[in-house]
Amino acid sequence: MSVALTLLLNGLANSALYFLMASGLTLIFGLLRVVNFAHGGFFVWGAYTGTFLASALHNLAASIAGGAAVGVLLGWLVERGLMRRLYGDATQQLLITMGVLMVLSELVRLIFGPNPISAPAPTSLGRSWVVNGVPLVAYEGFVILFGAAVFAILQGVLRGTRLGALIRAGVSNPELLAARGIPVRRVFTAVFAIGAGLAALAGGLSGPWFGAVTPDMGMDMQLTAFVIVVLGGLGSVGGSLLGSLVVGITTAIVSYFAPSLAVLAGVVVMALVLVVRPHGLMGQREVA
Amino acid sequence: MRRGMRQLARMAQRSPGRAGPLARVADRMPSGQGPRWLRAVLFIAAVMYPLVFGTGGITQLLEQIFTFGALAMSYDLLLGYTGILSFGHAMFFGTGAYAVAIGLNQGDGRLEGLLVGLAAGIAGSLVLSGIVAFLSLRVREAYFAMITLAVGQVLGVLAGSQALRAVTNAGDGLTVPVPDLLSGNLTLYDMCLALLALTAWALGRLVHSPVGDVLAAIRENAARAKSLGHPVVRFQTFVFAVSGVIATLAGAAFALAQSFVNTTVYDVAGVSLNVLLMVVIGGAGTLYGGLLGAALLLTAQTWFASVAGGAPWLREYMLAFGILYIVVVRFMPKGILGAFLHRRGHGRWRKSSDCKTSQI
Repeated sequence: MSVALTLLLNGLANSALYFLMASGLTLIFGLLRVVNFAHGGFFVWGAYTGTFLASALHNLAASIAGGAAVGVLLGWLVERGLMRRLYGDATQQLLITMGVLMVLSELVRLIFGPNPISAPAPTSLGRSWVVNGVPLVAYEGFVILFGAAVFAILQGVLRGTRLGALIRAGVSNPELLAARGIPVRRVFTAVFAIGAGLAALAGGLSGPWFGAVTPDMGMDMQLTAFVIVVLGGLGSVGGSLLGSLVVGITTAIVSYFAPSLAVLAGVVVMALVLVVRPHGLMGQREVA
Repeated sequence: MRRGMRQLARMAQRSPGRAGPLARVADRMPSGQGPRWLRAVLFIAAVMYPLVFGTGGITQLLEQIFTFGALAMSYDLLLGYTGILSFGHAMFFGTGAYAVAIGLNQGDGRLEGLLVGLAAGIAGSLVLSGIVAFLSLRVREAYFAMITLAVGQVLGVLAGSQALRAVTNAGDGLTVPVPDLLSGNLTLYDMCLALLALTAWALGRLVHSPVGDVLAAIRENAARAKSLGHPVVRFQTFVFAVSGVIATLAGAAFALAQSFVNTTVYDVAGVSLNVLLMVVIGGAGTLYGGLLGAALLLTAQTWFASVAGGAPWLREYMLAFGILYIVVVRFMPKGILGAFLHRRGHGRWRKSSDCKTSQI
């Protein structure tokens, strides 16, 4: 029982990180119709910026915010500099975002070196307790709450603000939105930057969660995020939450019993879902 | 396999799009094969080189270029000729390499072990391509890119996992005992060259056949190809399988030439993305562009690795290639060879334009 609870908590913390990645990916796809292969690059930059700031400032809030800010900035630059000219050509966009991922990962390798850099949890969140045989780690709880808060804020923004209304309208018909005189391109830029910021946020959180940052972690995280959005249905925020929970908890369970097969678990679940529902679990329904 | 080919060819001929404008545009497009004499000269030079200069460092580099060139050509069939984007071509390359390595290790380096391993590798790749195509080609293009990336990564993890140590030797890799028939540096070199030549010939035939015209139609406008009556998903699955089998053979040749296999043959960055860089920089949709890209990248990698001792930052050559790749995608979508052929085509167009206009 205590093992099950431990795994559940562990899985929820995984899910929270995955959700930050997947929701940005799915928002960008829903509006811009681009699968952003550079997402892992934003993640890895968030992770390294967060780790760097944490070692310099010893302030968790500042390091996470700094990482997210770098992500937003990078997202803005990539959208304005590269993506903007390629809307409508899906293959070119996939190719160029993949190139951005390679360059961002290689830059990290160049600046910080190829070896893992340790990223300890801040002392205020480094504590842990054992309750009825279940170890409770403060940072784990923090990650779970953070993920839940981001989900709540995202839903609030999408449903309750003008930007959210524009995004939802843009998902269902960008041409109509443009015809109404709304600067759709600016909404595109905003969503791309927000998505990149979410990925960098996940990066900043995941440094202390994994204990170390490596240049390859972006690619690994991105693969998981892809599995999640395909599983949940591209373009659906609710789907990416569901997918994150499924993959996060499955990964936690499988990596407890067979650590080397953890990566396989998510892909097998995805394959099974795709056989039954080619568009993913919530792919055909309207976006939340 | 053969019957499937003929069936597809018949489908291609029967279909109404065959004589349509797209097919004629495809005929006029620069083929990328270059003049026949150039290819013959290059081939003879490649055959003669080790006979004149002996085997050594350069022929090892050439072996890599030949195997990766064959891999890049098979990838170009997907990306450049059919317009489907895979980020997991290593799944076939690695499967071929591991199948041969395992077959030879279990068979104590006898020829039967090689043949059984090769057959198993090809069968495995066919099954794999079938599964991936079934899961992802039905929905949208982006799914294919994501799922191939994920599947390629999973196979790499599997090959390195402790659970399979008995067969794959996990992360330590396998030494490949080369059978007597193929032993010797010159024989291995000739084998890699033969694979490349066969690949180039077979793919050249395929892309200039009626099937190739349908593939071009799918690349240009899949919805239109479908509405013209071509079974688009079936053609894409077929191309994915063909490309996968060639990549499997390239992986097998690579394993024999290196006589060592480890999880790097499944590596996303090392193989799948490397081959993407080769094809895009060299020229997608030109067939020989992939070979050019392979030669460029592998030569640069070898050179940088030998120079990097003095200046460690030179080891970051991948950054330079990543930037070059973005520039090519953004400004030169046909790559180096494509841009060159385009210019040449331009010149011919101008020369012929003072002839009868009815030709245009």
